[in-house]
Amino acid sequence: MKQKQLPSRSVRIKLFSRMSFYARSNDVFWLLFFGLLLLFMLLWGAAIGSYQLSILKSWQIIIAPELAPEKLVRVVWEFRLPRLLVAALCGAALAIAGVILQSITRNALASPGLIGVEAGASATMLVFVVIVPGVIPVFLLPVFAMIGGFIVASCVWLLSSLRGYSPIRLVLVGVGITSMLSAFSEMLITYGDIDLVESALMWLGGSLHQASWPQVKVMMFWLLIAGSLAWLCFRQLNLLILGNKVAFSRGVDNRKAVPFLLLLCVALTSASVATAGTLTFVGLIAPHIARRFCANRHGALIPLSAVIGACLVVLGDSLGRSVFAPLQLPAGLVLVLIGAPYFIVLISRLRKA
Amino acid sequence: MLNKVEAHSMSGFPVARLSGVLLLLLAVAIAAFLHLSLGAKSIDWVTIWQALFEYNPLDMDQVIIRESRQARLIVSVVVGASLALAGVIMQAISSNPLADPGLLGINSGAAFFVVASLLFFPMFGQDYLPVFAFLGAAFAALLVILLSGWEQGSERLVLAGVVVTALFSAMTAILLLIDQQGLEKLRHWLTGAIGASDLKKLQWVYPYLIFAIVCCFTLVRSLNAFHLGERVAASLGVNVLLLKVSGLALVVVLSGCVVTVAGPIGFVGLVVPHVARLLVRNSYAWLFLYSLLIGTLLLILSDIAARIVLRPYEINTGIITAFVGAPVFIALVLRRMK
Repeated sequence: MKQKQLPSRSVRIKLFSRMSFYARSNDVFWLLFFGLLLLFMLLWGAAIGSYQLSILKSWQIIIAPELAPEKLVRVVWEFRLPRLLVAALCGAALAIAGVILQSITRNALASPGLIGVEAGASATMLVFVVIVPGVIPVFLLPVFAMIGGFIVASCVWLLSSLRGYSPIRLVLVGVGITSMLSAFSEMLITYGDIDLVESALMWLGGSLHQASWPQVKVMMFWLLIAGSLAWLCFRQLNLLILGNKVAFSRGVDNRKAVPFLLLLCVALTSASVATAGTLTFVGLIAPHIARRFCANRHGALIPLSAVIGACLVVLGDSLGRSVFAPLQLPAGLVLVLIGAPYFIVLISRLRKA
Repeated sequence: MLNKVEAHSMSGFPVARLSGVLLLLLAVAIAAFLHLSLGAKSIDWVTIWQALFEYNPLDMDQVIIRESRQARLIVSVVVGASLALAGVIMQAISSNPLADPGLLGINSGAAFFVVASLLFFPMFGQDYLPVFAFLGAAFAALLVILLSGWEQGSERLVLAGVVVTALFSAMTAILLLIDQQGLEKLRHWLTGAIGASDLKKLQWVYPYLIFAIVCCFTLVRSLNAFHLGERVAASLGVNVLLLKVSGLALVVVLSGCVVTVAGPIGFVGLVVPHVARLLVRNSYAWLFLYSLLIGTLLLILSDIAARIVLRPYEINTGIITAFVGAPVFIALVLRRMK
């Protein structure tokens, strides 16, 4: 690329010796800013809880665990850190999924839950928790939830592309399937044994209280693979939001690109739903917040919304743990509570503009 | 097709439509009898007849019918009729084939307000529950409008409804997590349950309901004009804003009443108007009447299904209507949307 074609204020970033790309300094700044914010939130999240620490103290414990008292190290490293990291990773995954879905449906109100992943995973989970408890071991539950999410999402895709795919159909068929599945889930919630239902409900509300280091690793794996693939598709996404015809004329075939992107979206969503329950409101708002800083340039939008999504879930989880302590509110519910009013204001403003 | 031709040729006296109404009434009557006879214990038709007209309080079967099934039947009839009317009005004023009080979050808004009022303001009597439900329904409707705007397409309206539903059901879930006993008490109601005890609740809401149903029929002329398009309606002398606002108010009252009585029951308002429009197309007076009857029929049938599918257990009626309604919704999307 020649120098004069570049946007005015841009910096050259060298990833490896042979791979380099250009980024606007603006985007780099916001990315760093929200990255630091995320770091701060993680520290704050590690500090608060039933055993209160100062932020400085939590920093010391994380940096140099061998110097701190063993009890505190245990609290931070075994309970709080995995939980926070799972929260951050799930938030990032859902935010990326949200960006993808909003771009391929060209709809500001689309969220990753719409294509049925969330409802499918929840229904599968409820079946195995409430109807046939103990059939599969607890640690395999997320895997089954993930498979359920995949199956339902592919049903939605097949149905909506039965007579030719269109974004509206995808979204609305998703709404239909989701509401049918949630009726099924509600049936189980209503008639199941109240104790089993109680634990299932905690999970459904997006609760992170069982987070552990293996979960962090699994989630990291999915986020790295699917997230980076999604990021590499940023050019396709940039073109797809302009419409299928424009995209096609610039060499992006939406019949191939859309299923692939949806697959990424489903993978990201179902991985995080399986780990942390239904948090998908993040996927709705994080892209919108990110768009205020970098518009629709997906090269910057994807990483920025990932970081913002991570911030949001960490914030939601920390608030859910601390505001009503000793009662723990699921992060997903807290997020809806914070996010929905903001979102409504945002959308009504967008509409006027 | 036959309907239309005959209605035109015999100007003034719509035989075909009246006979359609009579057929539907007959169907409703048969369904009602089935509703009374089927259940955890099947009761023969003679006993039902006796229970209704020569009541003998010593016969246990007759007591079952009088005390529990009859109440349930009445509630289903009222709920079905009001939801169907709400659906017709919503689809008319939003010019949107996919509008439904359940899908657009109005029911969940009403449900949240009812739960909140039960938990936070127990000192208000239960007479105030419908008022809270109206407030919640109105609030949810305003949020949906704010999110989507009047003139937006179906997809945007439905998605706005999904967001609002998510908001309100999350808030309800939080309330119920804070108050565990509330969950135990309310979880049946929250998925749209019809039960015998609901007849009592009907007494709180019937003044509003009767008023709303009568009002629906006064909107007929303006709705007929509005069907031709907003501008045409305005040029025919219809106050479009007033029509929309009063239509919305009626939807709020109707679905608020239903939520107070039976909890959020979805998809009836979506499915019924479409079925009714297969039978009548061009007049809202007939459309209202047909929808009323079809809604009643649908809800009685769903309630029968709710009671006999898992005999002797009962499923919530709202779940049955979702299972019936969601496929219809998907079929509508696949046929109508491009």
